[in-house]
Amino acid sequence: MHSKSDKKRYPIYFVIPAFIFYSIFIILPFGISFIMSFTDWNIERMYIPIFRGFDNYIAIFRNSVFIRSIFNTLLFAVATTILKTLFGLLLALALVKVSRLNNILRTIYYIPCALSPMIIGVIFTSILANDGLLNNVLSTLGFSAVAVNWLASYGTAMSSVILIEGWMWSGFNMFIFIAGIQAISKDYYESADIEGAPAWAQFKSITMPLLIPSFTIIITLNITGSLKVFDLIYVLTKGGPGFDTQVLSTFVYKAFGLGLLGQSSAASIVLSALVVCISFVLNRYLTKREVEL
Amino acid sequence: MKKCKVSSVIKYIILLILAFVYLVPVIMMLLGSVKDPAQALQFDLSWPKAFHFENYQYVIENGNILRGYLNSATITFSATALTIIFGAFAGIIISRRSDKTGTALYYYFIFGLTMTLQTASTFALLKVLNLYGSRFAVISIYIGMRMPFTIMSFSSFIKGIPREIDEAAMIDGCKPFGMITQVLMPILKPITVANIVITAISCWNDFMIPLFYLGSGKKWTVTLAVYNFFGMFSRNWNYVFAVLTLTVLPIVIMFLFLQKYIVSGMTAGAIKG
Repeated sequence: MHSKSDKKRYPIYFVIPAFIFYSIFIILPFGISFIMSFTDWNIERMYIPIFRGFDNYIAIFRNSVFIRSIFNTLLFAVATTILKTLFGLLLALALVKVSRLNNILRTIYYIPCALSPMIIGVIFTSILANDGLLNNVLSTLGFSAVAVNWLASYGTAMSSVILIEGWMWSGFNMFIFIAGIQAISKDYYESADIEGAPAWAQFKSITMPLLIPSFTIIITLNITGSLKVFDLIYVLTKGGPGFDTQVLSTFVYKAFGLGLLGQSSAASIVLSALVVCISFVLNRYLTKREVEL
Repeated sequence: MKKCKVSSVIKYIILLILAFVYLVPVIMMLLGSVKDPAQALQFDLSWPKAFHFENYQYVIENGNILRGYLNSATITFSATALTIIFGAFAGIIISRRSDKTGTALYYYFIFGLTMTLQTASTFALLKVLNLYGSRFAVISIYIGMRMPFTIMSFSSFIKGIPREIDEAAMIDGCKPFGMITQVLMPILKPITVANIVITAISCWNDFMIPLFYLGSGKKWTVTLAVYNFFGMFSRNWNYVFAVLTLTVLPIVIMFLFLQKYIVSGMTAGAIKG
């Protein structure tokens, strides 16, 4: 209806700068990656790659380190998302009332996520090292038997990284949940009080269902964000011990560092496909639940 | 009533212990930054035997931190300013145009939300464009990466603003450019502030892009300088703690001052998205 005056009022050339930067630096590399992942592209013959079909994909899927990275990436994404969501919700419920003490506590819990994961990684190497803070505390408390080099074995290294990521981002989720809880009308709780519903029942049948939109945002953001994790793993474990804590982003970087550009591209295409599929399915599933309410 | 009080006391005791656990890394860092090397290596929360403030002097002289600050500031400022300008214009136009071009562009940009960095091909592209190792390359990648989110948040925010405002502005003789900069942008201030905060924090903290594409030491950002410093001085933790303090403290201070905007910005950005 408006379309003729629209064109004059909203000229398309205002979109051009955004379009250029996004197309050249994001979409074009994606296209190049996709094409080059079917070639033997490497650092020595950067400009004359030869078509090799699915060779790179076959090679990486036969590589046990790659399979391990996929597993670790998924484990990291699922575990951290559950951790951050539950912990964020608990903090939100504890601190939803406005008071001076609550505000100070909120700030303390929120600060880690304004810091660089790289900085956090360096700080935590001093906590988790063999003679680090954690082991010092443990031995002062008389638990020196459980003190280990936390980053030296798969189980403890992976759990440490997961817990640190949870520590970083729970405060962020807390704020989204607080905003969600504050948006729920007080009337529901008042009428529930009149009918004598206990606090737990109120939480289960009022707070939780009405928080589903917040869950949608938090789960989608956290899953897609943590599938791309790089800094924390790179700084804390370098993918080690051995290749045990390698995730897809570090695998991509490693292959790139070795000059295997084709394999690196194939791996990053796999990562992209994973992120696209998971966020699509999640969005479908979660928004469906919202509509049903 | 009494039971309620007891449980809330217990709740706050737990929350305060938790807050202490949250602060332990920061406390250790602050104390460690003024210890002598031997005491810093003990990694504990003991009070420094003597205050070695010269640790900071040493770090500033040898760590390239000031140059890192300057580089980070240049990159963050340019990337943020351009992201907001390009993103705001694109978001407004895309959302307001009710034709096929608008919709197609919207989905084209939204697709980028799921995009991951293509390490190898971005490297090759920068080589071909002769941009590898330049600040401009890093800035451009940030702009590209931030476009989907910025455009999405602007276009969803502007849907809540009646078109009549645009029409009135045009009747008053505004050109499209004036209508956006003088009429719409002031109304869009909340989402603009939110985007500035999110973009600036994510560029300042980023480590991956400079690590991959910034080559020489002269252009290193502060995160890269700190990482390198950590690699070189990993046995002198007093210096490492000092360098970490120098990078963490400004962000924490800025955070405390701008807290209101940052929190509402980061969460509003997420919710609008």
